[in-house]
Amino acid sequence: MGLRPNIRVLRDMKARQGVLDNEVTRRAYLFVARNQNLPPQIRHQAQLQLNTFGRYTRPTTVKNRCYASGRGRGIMSEFGLCRYQFRLKALAGMLNGVKKASW
Amino acid sequence: MSVVPPSRLAKLTKLRCNIFQTVYNPTGIRTGAKYLRARLRGPAMMSYYPPTLNISRVARMYPELELVDEDEEQRLQDIEDRKKRGKGAPKKAKTKEDGRRNQRRK
Repeated sequence: MGLRPNIRVLRDMKARQGVLDNEVTRRAYLFVARNQNLPPQIRHQAQLQLNTFGRYTRPTTVKNRCYASGRGRGIMSEFGLCRYQFRLKALAGMLNGVKKASW
Repeated sequence: MSVVPPSRLAKLTKLRCNIFQTVYNPTGIRTGAKYLRARLRGPAMMSYYPPTLNISRVARMYPELELVDEDEEQRLQDIEDRKKRGKGAPKKAKTKEDGRRNQRRK
């Protein structure tokens, strides 16, 4: 992380924490709601319970952002950096095994 | 080539399920097992961002050190100065009618 994480990174951290905290219960409700062997009423109840979970408990709200700049697009997942930070760090020799191509 | 009857194929599948300890589910009914089988993703998600250290966090962790966050002090001081010059943030509206949106409309 750079000097200080921006609000989008903070929100993403919050989402990650929420996913971690609620993952087991959400999975249990998902199992009940998607199980066709169970009576429809119980499945419906489980689905209603799933809907009560907050926004930042769903794994889909988590987005990998650049850990140096907080940018959300153009992330190289191997390094967790956006394309510009990747370039800067690679040219500075901070990424092992990364070399500028020339032919 | 002789045709194998479906009942025998079903028996074969059942036996295979027995041997490999999988659930025999010939109709393909959804059991929701995949939500239980999948690995938990939370711990890996939490380790994405490298841990950061800043003064305010250290100060909160060790109150006995009595560290002073100079940036924070400066910020609070600036707010005080601005308030003295009458440039502070407006008071929070008590009711919705007092809100800025309604004032503008009048």
